Amino acid sequence: MRKKSNRKRSDRYRLFRIILFVGSLATGASIFLFSTLSSQTFGPLHKLVLEMTGPLQKIVTVSSNHVETFKREYVDILQDSLRLREENKRLLQQLQEKEILLNKSREALATNASLRRLLEFKKTLDQQQSVAATIVGKDPSTMYRSVIIDRGANSGVTKGDPVVNSEGVVGQVFAVTPNYAKVLLAIAPSSAIDVLLQKSRVRGILKGNGTLTYRLEYILKTAEVEEQDHVVTAGYGGVFPTGLQVGVVSKIIKKSRGMFHEIEVTPSVDYQKLENLLILEQPKSSEIGKMEQN
Amino acid sequence: MVVVFFIAAGILLVVLQTTIFMPSPVSSFSPDLHYVLVAYLALRLDLLRSLLILLPLVCVLDVLSGTVLGMHALSCFSGYFLLQQVSSRLPVNELLYQIPFIALSYLIVSWAVYHFLEFFTPGQQAAWIWWKMIIHTIFVAGPAYPLFFVFDLLQKFSHRHFLPHNKLRLRSDNRRRRTT
Repeated sequence: MRKKSNRKRSDRYRLFRIILFVGSLATGASIFLFSTLSSQTFGPLHKLVLEMTGPLQKIVTVSSNHVETFKREYVDILQDSLRLREENKRLLQQLQEKEILLNKSREALATNASLRRLLEFKKTLDQQQSVAATIVGKDPSTMYRSVIIDRGANSGVTKGDPVVNSEGVVGQVFAVTPNYAKVLLAIAPSSAIDVLLQKSRVRGILKGNGTLTYRLEYILKTAEVEEQDHVVTAGYGGVFPTGLQVGVVSKIIKKSRGMFHEIEVTPSVDYQKLENLLILEQPKSSEIGKMEQN
Repeated sequence: MVVVFFIAAGILLVVLQTTIFMPSPVSSFSPDLHYVLVAYLALRLDLLRSLLILLPLVCVLDVLSGTVLGMHALSCFSGYFLLQQVSSRLPVNELLYQIPFIALSYLIVSWAVYHFLEFFTPGQQAAWIWWKMIIHTIFVAGPAYPLFFVFDLLQKFSHRHFLPHNKLRLRSDNRRRRTT
């Protein structure tokens, strides 16, 4: 019983204390509000509050500035670098695409120029029928020199047809299939072409030796030959038209023995850059007969 | 299947040899990759299958290269039999030891074929130049190791059964019947 009455008393006391505390706070707040609103002066309390909150504000502001600076200097840079990386990737890809396009157009331009030269050359061949062809394969053997072209019997190519390009004589058709043909290059050791020295009109046989030069044979020592003399096709037999450029005399080896000169001829054709060729149709035997009669 | 795969591989090698590895018609340094296949057949495959592979290969080579038909047949078969004879007498069977023999056989066969052709058709072949041929030989020896690796893979791959024969096989009704 006694314990119960003691607890009731302490509860009452606690309630009284709360009411007293709230009341005094409310009274203080009312006095502060009333005095502030009425006097409108920045009193000591305000100053104290400001002095206390000022550093806090300062810390927060400086920190936020630092965070801002950090963000600007690092996070934004990181974001920028990521964006730049993407941009860089995209630009690189674009550049590669443009380079491929440029290469293609450059290639097309070069092919166009080569074909244009070939076309101009074709116009100079009077009425001789010709077929344009492209090299599709090259002979890898060390002993022979031949190429495979993408034109065959279906395009009118026959065995023995002369093959030329805008620079001069390239070789002769060696074997033919319906769509492809094998061309024996004039630099092949088994090739032999009837030629003339353009200036002196002396006739000889041009042979290949597997390298990038020809050998001009059967030119008598009595014949006048000089370096830089042009060598052209003789046109005998009607295989090659007369006067096609073959090469230039680059070396004359004079020996005391023998009847003939040893002459080296540099080809007018650049065999390292062979690409597009022109196959001249051989005149038929009846046409050759007519030509010989005339 | 091995025969078909190796014929296809041989044709591919010849095509590569006559196109990509020949930048110009006068290029002297294209690798004779087909000879590596010839060497592989001599060292790794039996005679019958090797001949079945070699026949179309030399035919393609003769068509795409050279002006004397049968020249490649001569060089490939000579190389094949030479290597086969040498390998059967060699105490080692490791590829690294065999590569010098492959290169040497290439040089010997090329030299022999050149002189054979020069005897029958003199002046129709480009002159034999030792330094060029040695470079060619190096170009045969160089890709030999990787190509042998590829050919080994090809052989393994070709041995795989593309059709499940055991599943397609017709079975009797009683699968548990004991066969005596």
